[in-house]
Amino acid sequence: MNGLWLIAQREIRTRVRTKSFLISLAISAILVAALASLPKVLGGDHAYDVGVVGAAPAPVAQLAYERYPDEAAARKAVIDGDLDAALINGDRVLANGELDQRLGLILESVHRDAQIKAAGVTITPLRVESVGVDARYQGVRTGIATLIVMVLFFLLIYSAMYVAMGVVEEKGSRIVEILLTSMRPWQLLGGKIVGLGALGLINLAVVVVAGLAASSATGFAADLPPGMGGIVVGTVVWFVLGYAFFSALAAAFGSLVSRQEELNSVLTPMTALMMLTYVTAYFATVEPTGTVARVLSFVPPFSSMVMPVRTAAADVPLGEILIAGVLMAAAVVAVLMGAARVYRRAVLRTGARVKLGEVVR
Amino acid sequence: MLEIDGLRKRYGDKTALDGVGFTVRPGEMFGFVGANGAGKTTTMRIVMGVLDADSGQVRLDGRPVTYDDRRAFGYMPEERGLYQKMKVAEQIEYFGRLHGLAPAAARSAAAALLERLGLTERRDDAVEALSLGNQQRVQLAVALVHEPTVLILDEPFSGLDPLAVDALAEVLKDRAAAGVPVIFSSHQLDLVERLCDSVGIISAGRMVAHGPVGELREREGRGVLRVVVKNAAPGWADGLPGELTREGDRDVLLCEEGDDQAILRTAIEAGKVEHFGRRQPTLTEIFREAVA
Repeated sequence: MNGLWLIAQREIRTRVRTKSFLISLAISAILVAALASLPKVLGGDHAYDVGVVGAAPAPVAQLAYERYPDEAAARKAVIDGDLDAALINGDRVLANGELDQRLGLILESVHRDAQIKAAGVTITPLRVESVGVDARYQGVRTGIATLIVMVLFFLLIYSAMYVAMGVVEEKGSRIVEILLTSMRPWQLLGGKIVGLGALGLINLAVVVVAGLAASSATGFAADLPPGMGGIVVGTVVWFVLGYAFFSALAAAFGSLVSRQEELNSVLTPMTALMMLTYVTAYFATVEPTGTVARVLSFVPPFSSMVMPVRTAAADVPLGEILIAGVLMAAAVVAVLMGAARVYRRAVLRTGARVKLGEVVR
Repeated sequence: MLEIDGLRKRYGDKTALDGVGFTVRPGEMFGFVGANGAGKTTTMRIVMGVLDADSGQVRLDGRPVTYDDRRAFGYMPEERGLYQKMKVAEQIEYFGRLHGLAPAAARSAAAALLERLGLTERRDDAVEALSLGNQQRVQLAVALVHEPTVLILDEPFSGLDPLAVDALAEVLKDRAAAGVPVIFSSHQLDLVERLCDSVGIISAGRMVAHGPVGELREREGRGVLRVVVKNAAPGWADGLPGELTREGDRDVLLCEEGDDQAILRTAIEAGKVEHFGRRQPTLTEIFREAVA
């Protein structure tokens, strides 16, 4: 275990010191922050600007009041387009041409409420009970699911690529021959996967923090659905599982070649599987309750991205999540064992590309 | 004592090793020579456990070598390998840690080796910034940092300038003097002859000769008998084997066989014998003879 930690430590220390790591960290944080603030920036759900002269009515979420000293000033602001409407002394509305229908209804109801209240009658608002699916947060949830798909895909492919590149670096430079005289192949492989995985987690943490910070800064956080904590934790767990799966594949395929130039072609099966996972997960954001999404959320490695998307976009029973998690974990163990076998046999065979068939027997 | 016994290794239908065996005693410097592809690297890799033999055994002090034994070995592979972007001192320390040294011990061992190899000023440079000769020194430091109990070096001298060769030779002699069995392969036979207590010659996967250099000379070459006779009458050597050449008033007879005592008697009768003796073959000659 000690050897494994030393390898992991070196991976972390070497990567953290590089400029490219810090830059990519900053870029991903900025990107996610921008995406998280997008709905508020572009959102059509903004409040109406209403100028007020005289007594201000009761505050309403959809209306942003702005005080004006007299009617003339308010009138000018309406004509200039600075205001959607102006309310004069609580009983007259100035509009530029026709009053927006929805704004009119809101103002009418505010006006009515004020009069009823003044008459001493207490109003109890209507209680709304949903008898169908709770769709209040559907838009936001779909947005979060889409964000998860993108973040997971980029982090997975990026971390797995680093594992493969590290394996080829050590094989190509023959350091592996010295390393393997002081440790077992599984320690070397495990250390690399753990070290680079820790870096991936750091990256994920930065992205999550940036996303949440941006959404609370823009006031979007108030619109986040309940259970965000669970979604975040779930995403982290699924990232760990998906990363273990794909990085083990990357290491196994990477150990077949001795030069970085050959890496892309030898990794094709892995990248293809990853792309397929990405596409199915993307599809699941569109139709999170469809049969395809439901079935694939149990099938490793698709589950590593489809399940977090499903849980973010719709309600999934905990039991289903656990079953999918156990299946994925089993697949991870199988892939890790297979990868360790391929790696052990291929990593010392430098020179021409090793055929997979020769090492899996 | 490191014993290598009956190693066999096949790659497909090509036999790489066909029963390689030899012994290296503590403190002994063993030179491993052979043509390219003869099996030196394969043997060393098997000793280091990087490769598995099809059959045969490597023993340390009478027991089969284990993984833990090997962690204490020092190894310099033929294909040099270092992390190019890692700093010199950090890299040596790192390998010390991998071999089980505590952080402080690894640091001081690395510093001492850098001093010894004249690399102290380069300690914070990335390996890729060093000349090839200096990279080789770092490679050696990596093999030595944990005070190995056995040293296996594949072509450690190749590509080094004469000064670096001397520095490396000193370090190896030091380790041997401390009781460590040292095996190194080389194509520079004069160097092997100068440094080694014993030599092993491998050809096509078989050991064709091995033992102390002096013994090998007697056993393998026996040497050519050289007789120099002054003022001898022409035709004195007509009945003798070998080849006669005349240099001024001296006759030089070189022969590889025949009864040397009889030849001596004939020579004394023929004239004044100025030289009579066997010429010691060089390692190069022994090598040529052995692999021919």
